[in-house]
Amino acid sequence: MDGFLTSRVVTDILGGLTNGAIYGLVALSLVLVWRATRVLNFAQGAMPMFATYLGMGLLSYSWPYWVCVGVSLVAAFAIGAVTERVLVRPLYGKPEINPIVVMVGYLIILEAFAAAIWSTTPRSLPAPFSPIDWRLGGQPVGLSPFSLFEVVTALAVMGAIVVLFRYTRLGLQLRASALAPEVSRLLGVRVGRMLTLGWMLSTAVGAVTAILVASNFFTGLTPQLMDGIFAFGFIAAAVGGLDSPVGAVTSGIALGVVLQFVGDYLNSNAIILVALAILIVSLMVRPNGLLTRSAARRV
Amino acid sequence: MSPVARHGAVALGALVVAVALALTLAPRASDAVALVVVAAVAAAAGLVGSLPTVRTEHPALARAMLTVILVDAVVFATAFLSVPTDFNLATGAGMAIVLLGLSFLTGASGQISIGNGAFMGVGAFATAIWANHHATTPIVVTLLISVVVGALFGLLLGLPATRLRGPYLAGMTLAFAVAFPAILSSFSSWTGGDSGLQLPNTATAPHWLVGLFHAGTPTLTTDTLWLTDIVMVATGVAFFLMANLFASRTGRAMRLVRDNDVAAELVGVPLPRTRVIAFVISAAYAALGGALWTLLNNSVSPATYGFALSITILAVIVIGGIGTISGAIIGGVVYAYSTNVIAWFVAHTGLNPQGNLASQLNGIIFGALLIVTMMFSPMGIAGTYRHLRARRAHARERE
Repeated sequence: MDGFLTSRVVTDILGGLTNGAIYGLVALSLVLVWRATRVLNFAQGAMPMFATYLGMGLLSYSWPYWVCVGVSLVAAFAIGAVTERVLVRPLYGKPEINPIVVMVGYLIILEAFAAAIWSTTPRSLPAPFSPIDWRLGGQPVGLSPFSLFEVVTALAVMGAIVVLFRYTRLGLQLRASALAPEVSRLLGVRVGRMLTLGWMLSTAVGAVTAILVASNFFTGLTPQLMDGIFAFGFIAAAVGGLDSPVGAVTSGIALGVVLQFVGDYLNSNAIILVALAILIVSLMVRPNGLLTRSAARRV
Repeated sequence: MSPVARHGAVALGALVVAVALALTLAPRASDAVALVVVAAVAAAAGLVGSLPTVRTEHPALARAMLTVILVDAVVFATAFLSVPTDFNLATGAGMAIVLLGLSFLTGASGQISIGNGAFMGVGAFATAIWANHHATTPIVVTLLISVVVGALFGLLLGLPATRLRGPYLAGMTLAFAVAFPAILSSFSSWTGGDSGLQLPNTATAPHWLVGLFHAGTPTLTTDTLWLTDIVMVATGVAFFLMANLFASRTGRAMRLVRDNDVAAELVGVPLPRTRVIAFVISAAYAALGGALWTLLNNSVSPATYGFALSITILAVIVIGGIGTISGAIIGGVVYAYSTNVIAWFVAHTGLNPQGNLASQLNGIIFGALLIVTMMFSPMGIAGTYRHLRARRAHARERE
């Protein structure tokens, strides 16, 4: 039994689940914004990065860890709200490339400001739990207390989002505003407020992700922290379907596991190449995602 | 007096004035010869291009003549500019080709690519790899091969584009841009890994050019001049072909796809094919720009073609005017001189040039311009200028 648990396959699966949880969270935050406002947010990595700098930077003034996490989340809510009100709202109803370009500009500005204020030197965040793998009979099992914490956090966030959307009045209003804004407005839903809330939620989910990624000993917090992760998150969201939160999360986790095997059995360069190939093939087969039920657009 | 004779007389007069100026002003005989050649080319092209029959019935020929005049003038000017200026202009011209491709993709199909820096890298490395294996290939052939390789990469990525709407395609090209460094290091035996590649031999200026401008001594100056002129001619050809494409039946079909894809399908425009062609052309143009950069630098480094370049490309074309031809030229100039302008700004505001803020100023300014342009004037500098001129003409009509 010990031999099985420390075997290469199981280690890869566990490591893949940890990465996949991160990809799933990024994908989820993209889906939240896409469903609410039909904008693919290319600054989805940069906005939480900025919030994380604001919050976790307080660690240097010896604020307690969990307070800093709380401040990061509050900063993320604020950034999400301000972004939607100031940058995104004027763009509704414009050609679909306009919000893409604005969000790319926002990405450039946020990364440049972060580098100007906090420099590009990676800043290491303390992991709240040990990042060293548990051992069984002297062999690492591919799972550490910290990576277990990552997976549990990711699942908890996803679960909270599902509960919010399915079982609360607020979630119903959020869904209604996304699907039928005019009707919702007639029925008294504050649609504008719901759209803002969608962006706030999404940025907060992103902040959780950014803190988890930056706590990894090898990366640390940098202005470009989320660029690569964003690509994987987008691939997961596109494969699963930008309209489907469950699809995005599922394909994020699956992607993490598949890519862990690719990295282990081929090499680390092959990871992003295989991911790109998966994206191309899946978009050719099902342009709206493998896990959505929405009808395909013919033209 | 027939139009031909009238235009001929004007052209001849211009030529005589140019020759007289050349003979009195030019310090050396060779400079005078160069001036005369340049003036003769411009006068002949101007004559042909301005003929009424050509202008009304052969617009392609008229555009060709306009291209000849512009390239002629630019090539002439480069002979008298300093080496750094030439190099800067040529870098900007290479970028302008890339921008033209992207401008076309958006202007013609309503799609956008965030991965054109990577397609540029494909062309840049294709040139370097080919030159290292076949050192004797003429430059033109090497450039064409690089363009074909770029187009093939574009086809591979563009295939899903047949059914994709804007955001998906943008995301996919972004993933390609992020993946590109990994592609390069996966094939490091070809691409030289982190250090990149050197070209086996430098392009040296031919004797007639050296004799014409620099009294027979081939130097670094003449080599830079030669490379600059190659880039300028290639830019002229690229812009000429694109101007024709914009005006052609295919170009009109593509604009219809951008404005209303359902209507385009109804009148018989094959949507998937049109979208893929637009994407492939934009990739091929990016590859040409990258190939020219490799020639110009005599080397290629993977660090140049990172994600940041792709974003910069998007920024300068939006500022210049996406969907327009002149926007690509404006964007090229903006790109070529942004570093100088920012350095000047830093020097005059007393910012610490080694400080964090000064090193990030580029990103802050480009990001801000990108957002402001898209929010308030989505057609960029070129589109705004066109809009203002149209409004003034309209106001004049009403008086």
